[in-house]
Amino acid sequence: MNVRTVTELVATYGATRGGLIAMLEEIQHDHGYLPEDVLRQLAAATSRSLVDIYGIATFYKAFTLAPRGRHVITVCLGTACHVRGAPRIVGEFERLLAIKAGDTTADGEFTLETVNCLGACALGPIVVADGRYFSNVSTTEVADILARTRAGVDAADPGKTERDIPMCVRCPRCEHSLLDPSRALDGHPSIRLDSAFDGVRGWVRLSSLYGSRSTDAEYGAPEGVAAEYFCPHCHARLTGPPRCAECDAPLLRISVRGGGVFLRCSRSGCNERFLDVRGPGAPAEPPRGLPAESART
Amino acid sequence: MRRLHSVEALAAMRADLIAARGSPLPTVVIPAGTCGQASGANDLIRAAKRELLGDGRKVRLRVTGCHGFCQMEPSILIEPSRTFYPRVAARDVPRIIEAAAAGGVVEELLFVDPQSGARIRRQDDVPFFRKQVRTIIARNERVDPLRIEDCIEAGGYAAFAAALGGGDPRAVIDEVKASGLRGRGGAGFPTGRKWELFAQRPASRGKILVCNADEGDPGAYMDRSVLEGNPQSIIEGMLIGAFATGASEGVVYVRMEYPVAIKHLKTALRDARELGLLGAHILGTSFSFDISLVKGAGAFVCGEETALLWSIEGKMGEPRQRPPFPIEKGIEDRPTAINNVETWANIPVIIERGGREFATTGTRNNAGTKIFSLVGKVKYTGLVEVPMGTTIGEIVYEIGGGPSGKAPIKAVQTGGPSGGCIPRDAFDLPVDYDSLSRAGSIMGSGGMIVMDETTCMVDMAKFFLMFTQDESCGKCTFCRIGTKRMLEILERITDGKGEESDIQLLQDLAYQIKNNTICGLGQTAPNPVLTTLKYFGDEYIAHIRDKKCPAHSCSALVTYSIDPNACKGCAMCIKACPADAITGEKKKAHEINTAVCVKCGKCLETCKFNAVIKN
Repeated sequence: MNVRTVTELVATYGATRGGLIAMLEEIQHDHGYLPEDVLRQLAAATSRSLVDIYGIATFYKAFTLAPRGRHVITVCLGTACHVRGAPRIVGEFERLLAIKAGDTTADGEFTLETVNCLGACALGPIVVADGRYFSNVSTTEVADILARTRAGVDAADPGKTERDIPMCVRCPRCEHSLLDPSRALDGHPSIRLDSAFDGVRGWVRLSSLYGSRSTDAEYGAPEGVAAEYFCPHCHARLTGPPRCAECDAPLLRISVRGGGVFLRCSRSGCNERFLDVRGPGAPAEPPRGLPAESART
Repeated sequence: MRRLHSVEALAAMRADLIAARGSPLPTVVIPAGTCGQASGANDLIRAAKRELLGDGRKVRLRVTGCHGFCQMEPSILIEPSRTFYPRVAARDVPRIIEAAAAGGVVEELLFVDPQSGARIRRQDDVPFFRKQVRTIIARNERVDPLRIEDCIEAGGYAAFAAALGGGDPRAVIDEVKASGLRGRGGAGFPTGRKWELFAQRPASRGKILVCNADEGDPGAYMDRSVLEGNPQSIIEGMLIGAFATGASEGVVYVRMEYPVAIKHLKTALRDARELGLLGAHILGTSFSFDISLVKGAGAFVCGEETALLWSIEGKMGEPRQRPPFPIEKGIEDRPTAINNVETWANIPVIIERGGREFATTGTRNNAGTKIFSLVGKVKYTGLVEVPMGTTIGEIVYEIGGGPSGKAPIKAVQTGGPSGGCIPRDAFDLPVDYDSLSRAGSIMGSGGMIVMDETTCMVDMAKFFLMFTQDESCGKCTFCRIGTKRMLEILERITDGKGEESDIQLLQDLAYQIKNNTICGLGQTAPNPVLTTLKYFGDEYIAHIRDKKCPAHSCSALVTYSIDPNACKGCAMCIKACPADAITGEKKKAHEINTAVCVKCGKCLETCKFNAVIKN
């Protein structure tokens, strides 16, 4: 995890309108909560009293002053979810986790939260577990949601689910295949590219299965660092605009046989990726942002 | 992407895009807003991509925001035939695509009309859609929200270009005034009038337009749907507003609970900027305007406009007294005009069609369409867009298909925590700002929560009080403590410990809170209690006098038992019971020990024979 220092945050947001909330959001994002020592540093760095910062930190629900669990379960208690029995869902989570809403289990595994509306009202009751939405939840499903969350909501064997798509990829410039059948990842030929970051050059392999995050590299870029990628045949640079909507790093962009484009964020640690397929006759431009669909590969 | 340097260049770009697309091909449209994704739309998208890559079928794919029929998601719409497939399984995607490529249809996957049993092919013939006038929502079907080209090809920014090309800001304000558009955020202030006042404010320190996307009203989600599905329409609306009123800067304040909307808007802003539709010298003219995105941090009260301004400045979102109004003193004391997402989305429509034409939809003083989120105990849930003045009955029974379960519908709640409950007898009420407020409720942002006979109205009032009590910023004593006291009384009543004098006490407190608070949150917080007392007073009496909950909903007042004649002795409930309160031998009627029962309702949910009864 790339944790930014208070000095860096103040340099980025100090002068902007609404900067304090933005800085607190970043701290919450990096640490998972607002640690007291960081808030003290922030107070000193922005010449504010700790009370002012504490006031904002406790006013808004986005912020927590205590560490949260590894998994966060959020139960929606909006009106539509309420009339369809959401309070009973909360009760069942509370019973199974032996904590009250708002608390974290003693082993630090689960935090149970409620929210006043997530805006998916037609599908209530809604539960969000580690970012994954479960709709029309009944009390009998609660135990299963906990088990799935514990195992990782996105856990699936690469190559064994219908969702994964094998891709035949080519360099967009020289049209040479980028697949290397001699080295497989996830049981499919890997995508082989040249990479460079901070003056370090080497090879990198990505899974050619869209849906898998498997990679292998001669020199892996450290977390938070963006690498450049090149075609091993014509040496064309494959990273560039458009930039990642999440972290603003350049995107890797290669062609997929059948009329697709594969985009992947070049920054180590960012999971943004997208397979763009639109069918014949569509403009060749890929989207400049990756849809939320890509966040859940 | 090339930068557009003139109004003509935008029109040329559109013509190029239409020409480049060439022959019309069948298009598979998959709605994938937050609701669609929660229902499994991502699996359909993957399956469709795999199919399209596989054998190069002559079919196009478009991933869009929400189309409104959330209950039937994940769904697929085929264009141009407008074939509608509800609740699609990923394994059926290949044959749907195959049929679409051949111009055919997969008969058995079509929507079945519950009354006639007939299969309906076209989306527009499905009862849920048939009665709607989908001016705003239908646009979500036509564009991939992450591709500005889609938007421009579909005519996006043409209204702005026309306004800008016309060169007359006053004429734009006149159109908006002629349209009769009223603020869709709930208060219903005439938008044209607000703009007119705002345009007169001095621009020496710059003027700011705000899009309020802090849609905190529980049960309402039309703003999320518009932001996710067509963020460019908001940018276009704000551009038109800025041109008309002389604003130089825009802010969109989005609640953090909407990550997809934030992401799509971020991309849309970047694209518009790259294309020269935001920033300095827009379309080669002297007009400059840019928009920034501010994320909320989770506080319902920030939807109130003065609190919103504080929050944008990075402070605690506490409301303040008005006047001064934001158009006089807003962000950093600069003139600031605030409109809601749906209001902004209507602006390009007004410019496109003309204000007078726009005003022909809806009723007098309530022009245009309004999007409602029809949710709760109704058969078809989703977003419904109808002309103002449509009756509640038409929305609930003809579009929503009536009750979702066996219990008949009892009431509809509109206006969220500031609104009220409208009983079944009053369902011929037209929904517009004025009729709803006469009935003791409000339009609000458009939440419409349907309740049936199993919903307890005292519990509903308690729910909303819990909400306002939790979200009260604490500035005004009557809101901070008054709502707490009211909540305690309601808790007492639903626990079976209420007294007859409690009703008078609730009314007194409600009156005090309404009159001694400065913002809308406090002033309207008692409404859910007052309307339920007005229309469902007998339910309060039943709780207090008979210690009974007529809806069998308040757990302290219900007991669970098993009907020995219906029970087959399958032991499913015994397994499900967390308290080991159920005993009985296999194939013999089971029994619930009420002393041990925790009233969780799991037995009732589990029983396949309807043998578990609530009394």
